[in-house]
Amino acid sequence: MTNINSRRQLLWNIGGGLGGLAVAQLLEREALSLENKSPNPAFNGGLHHPAKVKRVIQLFMTGGASPMDTFDYKPMLEKLHGQKLGPAEKPEGFTAPAGAMLKSPFKFKQHGESGRWVSSVFPHQAKEVDNMAFLMAMASKTNVHGPATYMMNSGFLLPGFPSMGAWISYGLGNLSDELPTFVVLPDAKGLPYNQKGPFSSGFLPAVHQGTVIKAGRKNPVPDLFPKEKYPFATRRADVEGFELLQKLNAAHSVNHHRDDSRADARIQSYELAARMQLSAPEAFDLSKETAATNQAYGLENPTTQDFGKRCLLARRLVERGTRFVQVWSGQQGATGNWDNHGSISKELPPIAASVDQPIAALLRDLKSRGLFEDTLLIWTTEFGRTPFAQGGDGRDHNGGSFVTWLAGAGIKAGTSYGNSDEWGYKAEKGKTYCYDFHATVLHLLGIDHQRLVYRQNGIDRRLTDVHGHVVKDILS
Amino acid sequence: MLSSFHSDDLSSSGSNTILIKPTRLIPMLAISFLVMSLIQLKVTNAQEAKNAEEERFFTENILPILETHCLECHSHESGMEGGLTLDSRSGWTTGGEHGPAISVGKPDESLLIKAVRHQVKNLQMPPEEKLSDAKIKLLVDWVKQGAVDPRTANSAKKKFDGSPLNWWSLQPLKRPDIPINVRTNNSKEHTKPDPIDAFVRRKLAEKNLSLSPPADRRTLIRRLYFDLHGLPPTPEIVSTFIADKSPDAYEKLVDRLLDSPRYGERWARHWLDTVHFADSHGCEHDVFRGNAWPYRDYVIDSFNRDTPWPRFIREQLAADHFFPNQKNLTPALGFIAAGPLELSRASTAPITFDYLDRDDMVAQTMAAFASTTANCARCHDHKFDPVTQEDYYSLQAVFAGIGKGDVLYDADAVIAKQRQDWQSLLEYSKSSEIEHRKKLLADEYVTIVKKWEKKFGNKPLAWETLAPSGFTSSSGSTLKQLADDSLLASGTRPEKDTYTITASSSLKRLTAIRLDVLADASLPLNGPGRQDNGNLHLTEFEVSLHNPENAKAEPIRLKIRKATADWDQQGWTIAHAIDGNIKTAWGIYPKVGESHFAVFELEKPQPLSPSDQIVIVLKQLHGGGHLIGRTKLSVTDADEAIASIEVLPAPVIAALKIQHDQRSEAQQAAIAAHAIQIHAQKKLAVLPPQSAVYAVSNSYSHGNKLANPMTPKVVNVLHRGDIHKPGKVANAGALSVLTELADQFELENPSDESARRAGLADWLAASENPLTWRSVVNRVWAYHFGQGLCDTLNDFGRMGGEPSHPELLDWLAVWFRDDAKGSLKKIHRLILLSATYQQASGSPSNSSPDKTKVPQSIDAENRLLWRMNRNKMDAESFRDAVLQLSGRIDLTMGGPGIQQFTQTKGPQATPKLDYDAFDWNDSKAARRSIYRVVWRGIADPFMESLDFPDLGLLSPKRGSSGSALQALMLFNNDFVLHHSEVLAKNIETNHQLIDEQIAIACRWIFLREPASAEQQMLVAYAKKHGLAATCRVLLNSNEFVFVD
Repeated sequence: MTNINSRRQLLWNIGGGLGGLAVAQLLEREALSLENKSPNPAFNGGLHHPAKVKRVIQLFMTGGASPMDTFDYKPMLEKLHGQKLGPAEKPEGFTAPAGAMLKSPFKFKQHGESGRWVSSVFPHQAKEVDNMAFLMAMASKTNVHGPATYMMNSGFLLPGFPSMGAWISYGLGNLSDELPTFVVLPDAKGLPYNQKGPFSSGFLPAVHQGTVIKAGRKNPVPDLFPKEKYPFATRRADVEGFELLQKLNAAHSVNHHRDDSRADARIQSYELAARMQLSAPEAFDLSKETAATNQAYGLENPTTQDFGKRCLLARRLVERGTRFVQVWSGQQGATGNWDNHGSISKELPPIAASVDQPIAALLRDLKSRGLFEDTLLIWTTEFGRTPFAQGGDGRDHNGGSFVTWLAGAGIKAGTSYGNSDEWGYKAEKGKTYCYDFHATVLHLLGIDHQRLVYRQNGIDRRLTDVHGHVVKDILS
Repeated sequence: MLSSFHSDDLSSSGSNTILIKPTRLIPMLAISFLVMSLIQLKVTNAQEAKNAEEERFFTENILPILETHCLECHSHESGMEGGLTLDSRSGWTTGGEHGPAISVGKPDESLLIKAVRHQVKNLQMPPEEKLSDAKIKLLVDWVKQGAVDPRTANSAKKKFDGSPLNWWSLQPLKRPDIPINVRTNNSKEHTKPDPIDAFVRRKLAEKNLSLSPPADRRTLIRRLYFDLHGLPPTPEIVSTFIADKSPDAYEKLVDRLLDSPRYGERWARHWLDTVHFADSHGCEHDVFRGNAWPYRDYVIDSFNRDTPWPRFIREQLAADHFFPNQKNLTPALGFIAAGPLELSRASTAPITFDYLDRDDMVAQTMAAFASTTANCARCHDHKFDPVTQEDYYSLQAVFAGIGKGDVLYDADAVIAKQRQDWQSLLEYSKSSEIEHRKKLLADEYVTIVKKWEKKFGNKPLAWETLAPSGFTSSSGSTLKQLADDSLLASGTRPEKDTYTITASSSLKRLTAIRLDVLADASLPLNGPGRQDNGNLHLTEFEVSLHNPENAKAEPIRLKIRKATADWDQQGWTIAHAIDGNIKTAWGIYPKVGESHFAVFELEKPQPLSPSDQIVIVLKQLHGGGHLIGRTKLSVTDADEAIASIEVLPAPVIAALKIQHDQRSEAQQAAIAAHAIQIHAQKKLAVLPPQSAVYAVSNSYSHGNKLANPMTPKVVNVLHRGDIHKPGKVANAGALSVLTELADQFELENPSDESARRAGLADWLAASENPLTWRSVVNRVWAYHFGQGLCDTLNDFGRMGGEPSHPELLDWLAVWFRDDAKGSLKKIHRLILLSATYQQASGSPSNSSPDKTKVPQSIDAENRLLWRMNRNKMDAESFRDAVLQLSGRIDLTMGGPGIQQFTQTKGPQATPKLDYDAFDWNDSKAARRSIYRVVWRGIADPFMESLDFPDLGLLSPKRGSSGSALQALMLFNNDFVLHHSEVLAKNIETNHQLIDEQIAIACRWIFLREPASAEQQMLVAYAKKHGLAATCRVLLNSNEFVFVD
């Protein structure tokens, strides 16, 4: 593409011109195809059409949250309980041959005006179902954690592809210059499957990758401040050091490359760094929150404390202009997540309890602060679980059907789309893949998923590959 | 109607007034024309309206349905699934495998309607979900009303425009003439025009542009050092070069730098990026590849030795085939294994895994050597390039017989030969063929056999294999007794199981029992366990004696004193098999794919009678199918040194009991085979350990050595890339579009796996292959100039770029192939000595008031090279430069990777890495960046912020981004702060005065003296905050991080 460089040149040159847009955007938009545009004020900051959503919080339940034990009520399983009806051969991606049919050990009740069935593991979310729209028949192309986690985040089964947060950062940039655009808050226990792979920027410039925040540290943003062991790096030396650097750089620009906007962009990046040092610590400081807020998010309860803190942090970040925050529940591995092979009745309740109250609190908090006007809240996972038992009353991986819900701006609250079959084994109607889910999220942000592309190794890559339909049925 | 009267004109008029006498012809015709025209006029009006209406119906109602639900599979653009396209009228009239899709006017007879109504089994469209009734009704109405479809075949995109070869990169290579009479701005040059400059100048002249003046010497030497070594020159080297007035000073410098081993370290990195090489698997189980590094060293060494390019191709794809006696080239095969490995999918979704793993190999090989995106043809023929789906699967078939793993080899040829000889003797001794066995009696082995028998044969202290008389599985596994009296499990794999095995023995007493768990090709990863990962868990081992002749006697449970095993999984030792606790067990992970054994010593010797039945119970209660796959039991009566007793097969024990001269030939052979086997094993054991490289061979699978080399797997052409829709079998081959080269390899023996790879290597390395030669010279050019002549290094297809200087690219390709004989150093030299490379990178002083005439306006991207490109240092260059400035760089070459992080155990196979906790005082901290361990999925945040790529995918070209996060990293990261401190200390040790210190710092970092205003600013800052803080600022400056 001969025009890549001219675009780069152009964008470098306008580096100083667009106020409010993070410098990262200006530095590396060169591979945007001609189809891509800058966020357009006339489109409420959308790229291709008016945006309803400006910021996104995604809650990701790692391990494969069981649909038929949470949101996808399957009375048929009660009838068929104990019968051997599953596939005789171990299907690709199952960890073991299918056991007998297993009913949910939890009670289901209908909630809200929408009458949505929710099991007893989610008493708090149950109260908010009228705010949510459910994709009841999401499917994955794999039953394996690693690839499935990639798929729900990047649309591909393999490493190396940008995650949704990275694409959004690349397409829209930030709402604030003083915070990272795409922030990831992993479970305190550890990272999800594929480590940092699910928040990678893939082939997009590194600046778009998810910044992993370790809440509570002095440096929540990596290298925000120097470590104390360097006595010469005092706060004073930092501040005056930035000033000196800018003088040196300015002189260098005059003497050398008057027409190199990359040099100017570097100068700007240090100005932004200095500003981030001033504002980021405040954003990450939960001490200013009221006791009522702390209680609502469950910060005083050891069960909900970790996830609650991160939900609260997510709210503070989007409030201050971070574009995309991803909050993870669960780490990779056999325990401490939603991968309940051993026993649904014993393993699901504790992990469900750790997120339920904080999620409901976050949703209410966003609403009461008016953030719901332009914020999208998403609850999802990488795949579902089998209606067949494994190892007693556990369930194996199942890409056949699982549940995602969305709430907030642009969402038709209290609706659902699609349904799984009577067993909850496979999507039956209104099947959606990550492509449709991603297309819908991008659509809400004012982006046409088919036009947000980046050329890599000769292919115009998209978050949605060659697929994706916006699920209009759940949009308001 | 007289057919003889037909003429083209008349027959097409549709008139039936044919037999008319000539005299009347004209008026009649005139009248009929008039009438017909009038009628036609009316008809046309009505028809047009109707057509327009029907077309609108189609466009508004039918086309959206087709686009949303059908074209994703049924179009020229996509898969042409089932041969059917619905992107033009002719697409559905012709139809696919099942015939025409629509029978116009007859919806009930139309396949398309039947399919959307889900009337026919196996033909239900769309496959995911039935269309709504409303949509189906629209389709039915449309067919009923005549299926008007205005789309012509032309509106459906043709796959290739014209001839597939009508594309620059596929055209045969021809050497273009070097342009002459090109105006130069240097009159001295007319004597010997530089070919590169001649091509570049001609293009510039067309736009009224010219080369910039040469860069100053300081800039030039800094550029050259970073380009060839990824390191800055020292101030001394710079001043020597500036002072050297000899005409060949620069040329000598180029040669010196190319001869330095630093060159290989710098340029190997470009290649390692291109082939997405890393030191771990990546993906969910991001396991360390402790033996990946020999490939990295191989690449460095190849660049330093200047291995000719065709040989470089052949070594990396098939060193084992082309150079079977040069085992030291084995690391070259690390090329094929460079990419990620999805361990978790390999075990739970093996078929998908195989196709995707080979896909990665195909994508890498074709992109790296031929700049072709063959992998775009996985689901359908390539949309833009002449790569068919069959071509693609032929390429997959090339790699169908190999797996990744730590391949062992002897770098020393003498040792390699010895090992080979002993190995083949060992195989011989294990053979059961009578002819082979007889040969073991040959004279040359007699001494070996005699010696063994003298030492061990007299009093056989031996394990006697138990021949089971009964064996059961508690949970439905099928156990089968094999010829060697081992038991093999198959059939259903229960979660848990207990095997009970009964046997008698000829021994008079029993002191210990040995349990062998044996590798077997029928087991997952060759076992010895039945779990998908080859593991097993033995919860409890129990032994008791029964005497059926004495029915009243209670069975005696024998107490076990001690258990030992040749290998214990961490946390799963053999002691767990005798602890009476069913929650603990013995395991052998990760040493799967090989046999293991355990020995259980009884508390006291147990007398045996011939009627005693030994009952052994193997409890395997961990769950998850962690069951023993194949096992053999033996017993002994030895009293001591039980662990060192040999296992003697029953025939050998029997033979030894017979007088030497009375043994049959078979008995002699049995003893000889055993003695020779022991001897060969001992000889092999004392050979120096083999080296290992993470590479490919037909004896490995997912990191594990196979019991038997695999025969190449069958590769099918997959419809839509779907493993559930296998089509015809693909043979090993390459692209069919290059007609000069055979696209299907002629293999004497199709199961000869390495010949397939050799076939591809030959295809790529052929002098007729235009892609290969263009690809490599373009890469070299790109790394020198910061952008390629064609800027998509891995893609010369239609989605890639077109070259800015096609003749120059071709000239370089031919020159590299024919004149330089594939020598990279020669082409480096050619490029580096050109005026094009040596020109300044700054803004030319242009006094022209007309802004449109300045080069920045005419060619803003500098595609025509009116100046040198200014480049930002990449991550390695920055890091290595800082190490060098701080005076602590360690130029040790090669060897295992340096881990610049701390490592703790993770929840699964992937560890937790903490880069922030690394101590930069560590002695390993100062090695060059290329020797860092690159953990594919857990990147070093510092390097990543400087655009070190995500090596999940091929990464031929580094990005160059900047952001607040990068600025913070460069300003506050330990690496920079630590080395600012070291650098400052070094300066302070030798220079007392602060003015002097600042001058030295500038000399080292900028390679120049500070200007006076600058000096003042820096001194003022240094006085306040110290020299270390000042160095930190200088290392962050634009002047340092850009290379002019």
